Amino acid sequence: MRVFVIGLDSAPPELLFGEFLEDLPNIRRIIERSIFGPMKSCIPAITIPAWMVMATGKTPGELGLYGFRHRKGNSYRDIWIAHSLMVKEKAVWDYIIPKKSVLVGVPPSYPPKPVNGCMISCFITPDSSVNYTFPKELKAEVEKLVGEYIFDVVFRKEDRDAVIEEVREMTEKRFEVIRYLIDRDWQYFQFVEIGLDRIHHAFWKYFDTRHHLHEPDSRYKNVVRDYYKLLDKEIGKTIKLLDEDTAIVIVSDHGIKRMKGCFAVNQWLIDEGMLKIRNSRLKPGTRFEQLDVDWSRTTAWAWGGYYARIFLNVKGREPEGTIKQSEYERVREEVADMIKSIKGPNGERWNTRVFYPEDIYPVVRGDRPDMMVYFDDLYWRSAGTLGYESPYLLENDTGPDDAVHSEYGVFALHLPDMQEARHVESEIYDFAPTVLKLLGVEANLRGRSLI
Amino acid sequence: MESRTVSIPADLYEKIEERIGETGFESVSDYVTYVLREVLASLEGEEKEEVFTEEEEEKVKERLRALGYLD
Repeated sequence: MRVFVIGLDSAPPELLFGEFLEDLPNIRRIIERSIFGPMKSCIPAITIPAWMVMATGKTPGELGLYGFRHRKGNSYRDIWIAHSLMVKEKAVWDYIIPKKSVLVGVPPSYPPKPVNGCMISCFITPDSSVNYTFPKELKAEVEKLVGEYIFDVVFRKEDRDAVIEEVREMTEKRFEVIRYLIDRDWQYFQFVEIGLDRIHHAFWKYFDTRHHLHEPDSRYKNVVRDYYKLLDKEIGKTIKLLDEDTAIVIVSDHGIKRMKGCFAVNQWLIDEGMLKIRNSRLKPGTRFEQLDVDWSRTTAWAWGGYYARIFLNVKGREPEGTIKQSEYERVREEVADMIKSIKGPNGERWNTRVFYPEDIYPVVRGDRPDMMVYFDDLYWRSAGTLGYESPYLLENDTGPDDAVHSEYGVFALHLPDMQEARHVESEIYDFAPTVLKLLGVEANLRGRSLI
Repeated sequence: MESRTVSIPADLYEKIEERIGETGFESVSDYVTYVLREVLASLEGEEKEEVFTEEEEEKVKERLRALGYLD
Protein backbone atom coordinates (compact mmCIF):
# COMPACT_ATOMS: atom_id res chain seq x y z
CA MET A 1 0.00 0.00 0.00
CA ARG A 2 1.20 3.51 -0.85
CA VAL A 3 -0.32 6.72 0.50
CA PHE A 4 -0.78 9.86 -1.60
CA VAL A 5 -1.77 12.96 0.35
CA ILE A 6 -3.34 15.97 -1.34
CA GLY A 7 -2.95 18.93 1.00
CA LEU A 8 -5.24 21.86 0.23
CA ASP A 9 -4.39 24.72 2.54
CA SER A 10 -7.54 26.10 4.22
CA ALA A 11 -10.08 23.96 2.29
CA PRO A 12 -13.33 24.15 4.31
CA PRO A 13 -15.86 21.28 4.41
CA GLU A 14 -18.69 23.68 3.49
CA LEU A 15 -17.19 24.28 0.03
CA LEU A 16 -15.22 21.13 -0.77
CA PHE A 17 -17.87 18.67 0.40
CA GLY A 18 -20.81 21.01 -0.20
CA GLU A 19 -21.31 24.05 -2.38
CA PHE A 20 -18.63 23.29 -5.00
CA LEU A 21 -18.61 19.49 -5.08
CA GLU A 22 -20.90 19.24 -8.13
CA ASP A 23 -18.35 21.22 -10.15
CA LEU A 24 -15.43 19.02 -9.14
CA PRO A 25 -15.80 15.65 -10.90
CA ASN A 26 -12.39 14.26 -9.95
CA ILE A 27 -12.57 15.21 -6.30
CA ARG A 28 -16.18 13.98 -6.20
CA ARG A 29 -15.14 10.56 -7.46
CA ILE A 30 -12.66 10.32 -4.59
CA ILE A 31 -15.11 11.59 -1.95
CA GLU A 32 -17.89 9.26 -3.10
CA ARG A 33 -15.64 6.30 -2.34
CA SER A 34 -14.08 7.43 0.89
CA ILE A 35 -14.48 8.03 4.56
CA PHE A 36 -14.76 11.78 4.82
CA GLY A 37 -15.91 14.65 6.97
CA PRO A 38 -14.86 17.79 8.79
CA MET A 39 -11.54 17.60 10.61
CA LYS A 40 -10.99 19.70 13.72
CA SER A 41 -7.75 21.65 13.54
CA CYS A 42 -5.33 22.35 16.37
CA ILE A 43 -5.21 25.49 18.49
CA PRO A 44 -4.11 27.79 16.95
CA ALA A 45 -5.85 26.86 13.69
CA ILE A 46 -3.16 28.26 11.47
CA THR A 47 -0.88 26.91 8.71
CA ILE A 48 2.21 26.90 10.95
CA PRO A 49 1.96 24.84 13.15
CA ALA A 50 -1.09 22.93 11.80
CA TRP A 51 0.57 21.02 8.93
CA MET A 52 3.33 19.79 11.25
CA VAL A 53 0.84 18.94 13.99
CA MET A 54 -0.85 16.75 11.38
CA ALA A 55 2.39 15.12 10.19
CA THR A 56 3.80 14.46 13.67
CA GLY A 57 0.59 13.82 15.61
CA LYS A 58 1.98 16.15 18.31
CA THR A 59 0.42 19.28 19.78
CA PRO A 60 1.79 22.77 19.12
CA GLY A 61 2.97 22.74 22.75
CA GLU A 62 5.04 19.60 22.19
CA LEU A 63 6.44 21.06 18.96
CA GLY A 64 7.08 24.46 20.57
CA LEU A 65 5.47 26.10 17.52
CA TYR A 66 2.63 28.56 18.08
CA GLY A 67 2.59 30.46 14.81
CA PHE A 68 4.88 31.96 12.21
CA ARG A 69 6.86 34.06 14.68
CA HIS A 70 7.96 33.63 18.25
CA ARG A 71 9.61 35.80 20.85
CA LYS A 72 13.30 35.17 21.35
CA GLY A 73 13.20 34.17 25.00
CA ASN A 74 11.43 36.84 27.00
CA SER A 75 12.49 39.78 24.91
CA TYR A 76 9.97 42.51 24.10
CA ARG A 77 10.95 42.96 20.48
CA ASP A 78 13.25 40.22 19.17
CA ILE A 79 11.49 37.52 17.21
CA TRP A 80 12.36 34.41 15.25
CA ILE A 81 10.54 33.09 12.22
CA ALA A 82 9.44 29.45 12.25
CA HIS A 83 11.52 27.16 10.03
CA SER A 84 12.01 23.47 9.44
CA LEU A 85 14.92 22.95 11.85
CA MET A 86 12.72 23.92 14.78
CA VAL A 87 10.62 20.78 14.23
CA LYS A 88 12.28 18.14 16.40
CA GLU A 89 9.48 15.57 16.61
CA LYS A 90 9.25 12.65 14.20
CA ALA A 91 6.84 13.06 11.31
CA VAL A 92 5.04 10.36 9.34
CA TRP A 93 7.93 10.22 6.86
CA ASP A 94 10.41 9.57 9.70
CA TYR A 95 8.34 6.82 11.29
CA ILE A 96 8.04 4.85 8.06
CA ILE A 97 11.74 4.68 7.22
CA PRO A 98 13.08 2.72 5.31
CA LYS A 99 9.99 3.34 3.21
CA LYS A 100 10.58 6.32 0.99
CA SER A 101 8.77 9.65 0.85
CA VAL A 102 8.27 12.55 -1.53
CA LEU A 103 7.29 15.87 0.08
CA VAL A 104 6.36 19.08 -1.69
CA GLY A 105 5.68 22.30 0.19
CA VAL A 106 4.72 20.95 3.62
CA PRO A 107 5.15 23.95 5.98
CA PRO A 108 7.54 24.66 7.52
CA SER A 109 10.07 22.89 5.28
CA TYR A 110 12.67 25.54 4.65
CA PRO A 111 15.61 25.01 4.91
CA PRO A 112 15.23 21.60 3.21
CA LYS A 113 16.02 18.74 5.57
CA PRO A 114 17.28 15.31 4.53
CA VAL A 115 14.44 12.88 4.03
CA ASN A 116 14.53 9.26 2.92
CA GLY A 117 13.41 10.20 -0.58
CA CYS A 118 13.17 13.77 -1.79
CA MET A 119 11.54 17.06 -0.89
CA ILE A 120 10.86 20.61 -2.05
CA SER A 121 10.53 23.33 0.57
CA CYS A 122 7.46 25.44 1.34
CA PHE A 123 6.34 29.07 1.05
CA ILE A 124 8.66 30.36 3.79
CA THR A 125 11.55 29.82 1.36
CA PRO A 126 13.07 33.31 0.84
CA ASP A 127 13.14 32.95 -2.97
CA SER A 128 14.22 30.53 -5.70
CA SER A 129 17.87 31.63 -5.58
CA VAL A 130 18.50 29.55 -2.43
CA ASN A 131 18.74 25.79 -2.17
CA TYR A 132 15.18 24.58 -1.70
CA THR A 133 15.34 20.85 -2.39
CA PHE A 134 16.69 17.66 -0.93
CA PRO A 135 18.76 16.28 -2.51
CA LYS A 136 20.27 19.52 -3.78
CA GLU A 137 20.40 18.25 -7.36
CA LEU A 138 16.61 18.13 -7.56
CA LYS A 139 16.45 21.93 -7.83
CA ALA A 140 18.03 21.87 -11.30
CA GLU A 141 15.52 19.20 -12.40
CA VAL A 142 12.61 21.32 -11.14
CA GLU A 143 13.87 24.38 -12.97
CA LYS A 144 14.47 22.46 -16.15
CA LEU A 145 10.86 21.33 -15.96
CA VAL A 146 9.00 24.53 -15.04
CA GLY A 147 11.53 27.37 -15.07
CA GLU A 148 11.42 29.50 -11.92
CA TYR A 149 9.53 27.63 -9.21
CA ILE A 150 6.97 29.76 -7.36
CA PHE A 151 6.60 29.34 -3.60
CA ASP A 152 3.84 31.82 -2.84
CA VAL A 153 1.83 34.79 -4.04
CA VAL A 154 1.28 37.87 -1.94
CA PHE A 155 -2.43 38.55 -2.31
CA ARG A 156 -2.97 41.73 -0.34
CA LYS A 157 -2.61 44.15 -3.17
CA GLU A 158 -5.13 46.02 -5.23
CA ASP A 159 -4.21 44.45 -8.58
CA ARG A 160 -6.64 41.56 -8.33
CA ASP A 161 -6.10 40.30 -11.88
CA ALA A 162 -2.38 39.88 -11.25
CA VAL A 163 -3.14 37.80 -8.15
CA ILE A 164 -5.37 35.43 -10.15
CA GLU A 165 -2.73 34.96 -12.83
CA GLU A 166 0.16 34.50 -10.41
CA VAL A 167 -1.69 31.94 -8.28
CA ARG A 168 -2.75 30.00 -11.38
CA GLU A 169 0.82 29.91 -12.67
CA MET A 170 2.15 28.83 -9.26
CA THR A 171 -0.39 26.02 -8.97
CA GLU A 172 0.11 24.72 -12.52
CA LYS A 173 3.86 24.63 -12.02
CA ARG A 174 3.51 22.86 -8.68
CA PHE A 175 1.31 20.14 -10.16
CA GLU A 176 3.70 19.66 -13.05
CA VAL A 177 6.49 19.08 -10.54
CA ILE A 178 4.26 16.75 -8.51
CA ARG A 179 3.47 14.63 -11.58
CA TYR A 180 7.17 14.51 -12.43
CA LEU A 181 7.99 13.26 -8.91
CA ILE A 182 5.31 10.55 -8.97
CA ASP A 183 7.75 8.45 -11.00
CA ARG A 184 10.14 8.31 -8.05
CA ASP A 185 10.32 5.42 -5.64
CA TRP A 186 7.97 6.26 -2.72
CA GLN A 187 5.43 4.81 -0.34
CA TYR A 188 4.39 8.18 1.11
CA PHE A 189 3.78 11.25 -1.04
CA GLN A 190 2.46 14.51 0.36
CA PHE A 191 2.09 17.93 -1.17
CA VAL A 192 0.50 21.14 0.09
CA GLU A 193 -1.00 23.67 -2.31
CA ILE A 194 -1.00 27.07 -0.64
CA GLY A 195 -2.70 28.80 -3.59
CA LEU A 196 -6.16 27.87 -2.30
CA ASP A 197 -5.62 29.81 0.91
CA ARG A 198 -4.42 32.84 -1.04
CA ILE A 199 -7.42 32.75 -3.38
CA HIS A 200 -9.83 32.39 -0.45
CA HIS A 201 -8.38 35.41 1.34
CA ALA A 202 -8.18 37.60 -1.74
CA PHE A 203 -11.58 36.88 -3.32
CA TRP A 204 -13.91 35.72 -0.56
CA LYS A 205 -16.12 38.80 -0.45
CA TYR A 206 -16.96 38.54 -4.14
CA PHE A 207 -18.68 35.19 -3.82
CA ASP A 208 -19.96 35.08 -0.23
CA THR A 209 -23.25 36.98 -0.23
CA ARG A 210 -23.21 37.17 3.59
CA HIS A 211 -19.90 39.06 3.65
CA HIS A 212 -20.39 42.64 4.93
CA LEU A 213 -18.41 43.99 1.96
CA HIS A 214 -19.98 41.67 -0.61
CA GLU A 215 -20.10 43.18 -4.09
CA PRO A 216 -22.90 41.54 -6.03
CA ASP A 217 -22.19 40.69 -9.67
CA SER A 218 -18.54 41.57 -9.43
CA ARG A 219 -16.47 40.19 -12.28
CA TYR A 220 -14.53 38.35 -9.59
CA LYS A 221 -17.53 36.48 -8.23
CA ASN A 222 -16.44 33.14 -9.75
CA VAL A 223 -12.73 33.37 -9.01
CA VAL A 224 -12.92 31.11 -5.95
CA ARG A 225 -15.09 28.53 -7.73
CA ASP A 226 -12.89 28.63 -10.84
CA TYR A 227 -9.80 28.02 -8.76
CA TYR A 228 -11.43 24.92 -7.21
CA LYS A 229 -12.12 23.74 -10.77
CA LEU A 230 -8.48 24.28 -11.68
CA LEU A 231 -7.43 22.23 -8.65
CA ASP A 232 -9.88 19.52 -9.62
CA LYS A 233 -8.52 19.34 -13.16
CA GLU A 234 -4.91 19.17 -11.93
CA ILE A 235 -5.80 16.58 -9.28
CA GLY A 236 -7.58 14.51 -11.95
CA LYS A 237 -4.52 14.53 -14.22
CA THR A 238 -2.32 13.64 -11.27
CA ILE A 239 -4.22 10.74 -9.70
CA LYS A 240 -4.44 9.05 -13.10
CA LEU A 241 -0.71 8.39 -12.70
CA LEU A 242 -1.13 6.49 -9.42
CA ASP A 243 -1.19 2.70 -9.37
CA GLU A 244 -4.15 0.63 -8.13
CA ASP A 245 -2.69 0.00 -4.72
CA THR A 246 -2.58 3.63 -3.58
CA ALA A 247 -4.64 5.20 -0.82
CA ILE A 248 -5.60 8.82 -1.56
CA VAL A 249 -6.05 11.35 1.23
CA ILE A 250 -7.44 14.87 0.80
CA VAL A 251 -6.82 17.04 3.79
CA SER A 252 -6.62 20.66 4.95
CA ASP A 253 -4.95 22.33 7.91
CA HIS A 254 -7.95 24.50 8.88
CA GLY A 255 -11.07 25.91 7.27
CA ILE A 256 -11.98 29.42 6.27
CA LYS A 257 -14.95 31.76 6.60
CA ARG A 258 -15.95 35.35 6.03
CA MET A 259 -14.18 38.02 8.01
CA LYS A 260 -16.49 40.29 9.98
CA GLY A 261 -13.76 42.79 10.73
CA CYS A 262 -10.49 43.42 12.54
CA PHE A 263 -10.14 44.18 16.19
CA ALA A 264 -7.18 46.43 17.08
CA VAL A 265 -6.24 44.61 20.24
CA ASN A 266 -3.29 46.79 21.29
CA GLN A 267 -5.45 49.88 20.94
CA TRP A 268 -7.98 48.23 23.24
CA LEU A 269 -5.22 47.34 25.73
CA ILE A 270 -4.20 51.03 25.77
CA ASP A 271 -7.81 52.13 26.29
CA GLU A 272 -8.10 49.72 29.21
CA GLY A 273 -4.88 51.04 30.78
CA MET A 274 -2.98 47.78 30.41
CA LEU A 275 -0.53 49.02 27.77
CA LYS A 276 1.19 52.35 28.40
CA ILE A 277 2.88 54.29 25.64
CA ARG A 278 4.73 57.60 25.47
CA ASN A 279 3.79 58.51 21.88
CA SER A 280 1.42 61.46 21.80
CA ARG A 281 -0.34 60.89 18.49
CA LEU A 282 -0.47 57.76 16.41
CA LYS A 283 -1.10 57.56 12.70
CA PRO A 284 -3.66 54.94 11.67
CA GLY A 285 -1.84 51.68 10.96
CA THR A 286 1.05 52.29 13.36
CA ARG A 287 2.81 49.01 14.04
CA PHE A 288 3.49 47.81 17.55
CA GLU A 289 7.26 47.92 16.86
CA GLN A 290 6.95 51.66 16.21
CA LEU A 291 5.56 52.38 19.70
CA ASP A 292 7.54 53.90 22.52
CA VAL A 293 6.21 51.59 25.22
CA ASP A 294 6.53 52.50 28.89
CA TRP A 295 7.23 48.97 30.01
CA SER A 296 7.58 49.92 33.66
CA ARG A 297 3.82 50.65 33.69
CA THR A 298 2.61 48.03 31.22
CA THR A 299 0.64 44.91 32.14
CA ALA A 300 0.01 43.28 28.76
CA TRP A 301 0.62 43.60 25.02
CA ALA A 302 -0.51 41.61 22.00
CA TRP A 303 0.38 40.29 18.59
CA GLY A 304 -2.18 40.21 15.83
CA GLY A 305 -2.82 37.83 12.96
CA TYR A 306 -5.70 35.44 12.38
CA TYR A 307 -5.67 34.88 16.14
CA ALA A 308 -4.18 37.01 18.92
CA ARG A 309 -1.35 36.23 21.26
CA ILE A 310 -1.35 38.08 24.57
CA PHE A 311 1.82 38.51 26.61
CA LEU A 312 1.93 39.56 30.24
CA ASN A 313 4.74 41.71 31.61
CA VAL A 314 5.99 39.58 34.51
CA LYS A 315 8.59 40.57 37.12
CA GLY A 316 11.72 38.44 36.86
CA ARG A 317 10.69 37.18 33.44
CA GLU A 318 10.42 40.24 31.20
CA PRO A 319 13.24 42.84 31.35
CA GLU A 320 10.95 45.44 32.97
CA GLY A 321 8.24 43.17 34.34
CA THR A 322 5.49 44.67 36.50
CA ILE A 323 3.34 41.68 37.55
CA LYS A 324 4.58 39.83 40.63
CA GLN A 325 4.98 36.10 39.99
CA SER A 326 2.63 35.41 42.89
CA GLU A 327 -0.01 37.56 41.18
CA TYR A 328 0.42 35.99 37.74
CA GLU A 329 -2.58 33.67 37.76
CA ARG A 330 -4.88 36.29 39.20
CA VAL A 331 -3.83 38.94 36.65
CA ARG A 332 -4.09 36.47 33.79
CA GLU A 333 -7.63 35.54 34.84
CA GLU A 334 -8.57 39.22 35.06
CA VAL A 335 -7.17 40.03 31.63
CA ALA A 336 -8.84 36.93 30.16
CA ASP A 337 -12.19 37.89 31.69
CA MET A 338 -11.92 41.39 30.25
CA ILE A 339 -11.09 39.99 26.82
CA LYS A 340 -14.02 37.57 26.98
CA SER A 341 -16.37 40.41 27.84
CA ILE A 342 -15.48 42.48 24.74
CA LYS A 343 -18.61 43.11 22.69
CA GLY A 344 -18.94 43.85 18.98
CA PRO A 345 -19.12 47.36 17.46
CA ASN A 346 -22.92 47.42 17.90
CA GLY A 347 -22.88 45.95 21.38
CA GLU A 348 -23.50 42.42 20.14
CA ARG A 349 -22.24 39.46 22.15
CA TRP A 350 -19.06 37.85 20.86
CA ASN A 351 -18.14 34.23 21.28
CA THR A 352 -14.54 35.01 22.19
CA ARG A 353 -12.38 32.10 23.29
CA VAL A 354 -9.24 32.42 25.40
CA PHE A 355 -6.74 29.56 25.73
CA TYR A 356 -3.91 29.09 28.21
CA PRO A 357 -1.12 26.94 26.72
CA GLU A 358 -0.77 24.76 29.86
CA ASP A 359 -4.48 23.94 29.75
CA ILE A 360 -4.60 22.74 26.16
CA TYR A 361 -1.25 21.00 25.63
CA PRO A 362 0.27 18.11 27.62
CA VAL A 363 3.70 19.77 27.37
CA VAL A 364 4.44 23.43 26.66
CA ARG A 365 7.82 23.94 25.01
CA GLY A 366 9.56 26.98 23.64
CA ASP A 367 8.43 30.58 23.38
CA ARG A 368 4.75 30.36 24.21
CA PRO A 369 2.38 33.30 24.73
CA ASP A 370 0.50 33.69 28.02
CA MET A 371 -2.82 33.45 26.18
CA MET A 372 -4.16 32.80 22.73
CA VAL A 373 -7.41 34.49 21.73
CA TYR A 374 -10.03 33.77 19.08
CA PHE A 375 -12.07 36.98 18.85
CA ASP A 376 -15.71 36.02 18.22
CA ASP A 377 -14.63 32.47 17.35
CA LEU A 378 -12.14 33.85 14.77
CA TYR A 379 -14.74 35.91 12.86
CA TRP A 380 -12.82 39.00 13.95
CA ARG A 381 -9.21 39.10 12.92
CA SER A 382 -6.80 40.47 15.43
CA ALA A 383 -4.97 43.60 14.26
CA GLY A 384 -1.70 44.36 15.99
CA THR A 385 -1.58 47.83 14.44
CA LEU A 386 -3.20 50.85 16.05
CA GLY A 387 -3.95 54.56 15.82
CA TYR A 388 -7.53 54.20 14.60
CA GLU A 389 -10.65 56.09 15.63
CA SER A 390 -12.16 52.91 16.96
CA PRO A 391 -10.64 49.48 17.65
CA TYR A 392 -13.23 47.94 15.31
CA LEU A 393 -12.10 47.99 11.67
CA LEU A 394 -14.48 46.82 9.01
CA GLU A 395 -11.70 46.40 6.49
CA ASN A 396 -8.44 44.66 7.06
CA ASP A 397 -5.70 46.87 8.50
CA THR A 398 -2.89 45.77 6.19
CA GLY A 399 -4.29 45.43 2.68
CA PRO A 400 -7.35 43.70 1.23
CA ASP A 401 -8.23 40.43 2.95
CA ASP A 402 -11.79 39.18 3.21
CA ALA A 403 -11.54 35.90 5.06
CA VAL A 404 -10.51 34.46 8.41
CA HIS A 405 -9.68 30.94 9.51
CA SER A 406 -12.25 28.53 10.84
CA GLU A 407 -11.62 25.60 13.11
CA TYR A 408 -12.76 22.76 10.87
CA GLY A 409 -10.81 21.68 7.81
CA VAL A 410 -11.43 18.56 5.71
CA PHE A 411 -10.39 14.93 5.77
CA ALA A 412 -11.14 12.28 3.14
CA LEU A 413 -9.50 8.88 2.74
CA HIS A 414 -10.10 6.73 -0.30
CA LEU A 415 -8.84 3.15 -0.20
CA PRO A 416 -8.61 1.11 -3.41
CA ASP A 417 -11.44 -1.27 -2.41
CA MET A 418 -13.92 1.36 -1.23
CA GLN A 419 -17.18 1.51 -3.17
CA GLU A 420 -19.16 3.99 -1.12
CA ALA A 421 -18.82 6.94 1.20
CA ARG A 422 -18.97 7.00 4.96
CA HIS A 423 -19.09 10.12 7.08
CA VAL A 424 -16.45 10.47 9.79
CA GLU A 425 -15.71 13.22 12.30
CA SER A 426 -12.00 13.54 12.94
CA GLU A 427 -9.34 15.64 14.56
CA ILE A 428 -6.05 16.76 13.09
CA TYR A 429 -4.35 14.38 15.56
CA ASP A 430 -5.98 11.38 13.86
CA PHE A 431 -4.16 11.93 10.56
CA ALA A 432 -0.74 10.53 11.57
CA PRO A 433 -2.07 7.35 13.28
CA THR A 434 -4.33 6.68 10.27
CA VAL A 435 -1.56 7.06 7.70
CA LEU A 436 0.89 5.07 9.81
CA LYS A 437 -1.61 2.24 10.11
CA LEU A 438 -2.00 2.16 6.33
CA LEU A 439 1.77 1.93 6.04
CA GLY A 440 2.03 -0.78 8.70
CA VAL A 441 3.79 1.24 11.40
CA GLU A 442 2.74 1.49 15.03
CA ALA A 443 3.34 4.66 16.98
CA ASN A 444 2.07 5.75 20.33
CA LEU A 445 0.26 8.98 19.48
CA ARG A 446 -2.67 10.84 21.02
CA GLY A 447 -4.92 10.55 17.95
CA ARG A 448 -6.81 7.45 16.79
CA SER A 449 -6.62 5.64 13.49
CA LEU A 450 -9.77 6.26 11.44
CA ILE A 451 -9.56 2.82 9.83
CA MET B 1 24.13 9.73 -7.24
CA GLU B 2 27.90 9.15 -7.42
CA SER B 3 29.30 6.97 -4.61
CA ARG B 4 32.63 6.72 -2.76
CA THR B 5 33.85 3.95 -0.50
CA VAL B 6 34.64 4.41 3.20
CA SER B 7 35.90 1.82 5.66
CA ILE B 8 34.29 0.82 8.93
CA PRO B 9 35.37 -1.87 11.43
CA ALA B 10 34.17 -5.37 10.49
CA ASP B 11 32.38 -5.91 13.83
CA LEU B 12 30.41 -2.71 13.34
CA TYR B 13 29.50 -3.82 9.82
CA GLU B 14 28.18 -7.11 11.21
CA LYS B 15 26.22 -5.37 13.92
CA ILE B 16 24.56 -3.14 11.34
CA GLU B 17 23.85 -6.14 9.16
CA GLU B 18 22.02 -7.79 12.07
CA ARG B 19 20.14 -4.62 12.79
CA ILE B 20 18.89 -3.91 9.28
CA GLY B 21 17.32 -7.33 9.15
CA GLU B 22 14.49 -5.89 11.23
CA THR B 23 14.31 -2.46 9.62
CA GLY B 24 13.97 -3.27 5.95
CA PHE B 25 16.97 -1.25 4.76
CA GLU B 26 18.33 -3.01 1.71
CA SER B 27 22.03 -2.77 2.49
CA VAL B 28 24.52 -1.69 5.12
CA SER B 29 25.51 1.17 2.81
CA ASP B 30 21.92 2.46 2.63
CA TYR B 31 21.62 2.32 6.39
CA VAL B 32 24.95 4.01 7.06
CA THR B 33 24.19 6.74 4.52
CA TYR B 34 20.83 7.41 6.14
CA VAL B 35 22.22 7.54 9.68
CA LEU B 36 25.09 9.83 8.72
CA ARG B 37 22.79 12.24 6.94
CA GLU B 38 20.56 12.43 10.00
CA VAL B 39 23.52 13.07 12.29
CA LEU B 40 24.94 15.76 10.02
CA ALA B 41 21.59 17.44 9.64
CA SER B 42 21.01 17.58 13.37
CA LEU B 43 24.51 19.00 13.91
CA GLU B 44 23.93 21.61 11.25
CA GLY B 45 20.60 22.38 12.86
CA GLU B 46 22.27 23.11 16.16
CA GLU B 47 25.12 25.10 14.66
CA LYS B 48 22.94 27.05 12.30
CA GLU B 49 20.50 28.72 14.65
CA GLU B 50 20.18 31.53 12.14
CA VAL B 51 18.86 29.82 9.03
CA PHE B 52 18.00 33.04 7.28
CA THR B 53 20.55 35.74 6.49
CA GLU B 54 19.47 39.18 7.67
CA GLU B 55 18.35 40.08 4.17
CA GLU B 56 16.44 36.81 3.74
CA GLU B 57 14.76 37.22 7.10
CA GLU B 58 13.58 40.71 6.17
CA LYS B 59 12.23 39.36 2.89
CA VAL B 60 10.37 36.52 4.61
CA LYS B 61 9.01 38.83 7.33
CA GLU B 62 7.83 41.33 4.75
CA ARG B 63 6.04 38.58 2.87
CA LEU B 64 4.49 37.05 5.99
CA ARG B 65 3.33 40.51 6.99
CA ALA B 66 1.79 41.02 3.54
CA LEU B 67 0.09 37.64 3.93
CA GLY B 68 -1.43 38.64 7.24
CA TYR B 69 0.51 36.35 9.55
CA LEU B 70 2.48 39.08 11.32
CA ASP B 71 0.03 41.89 12.01
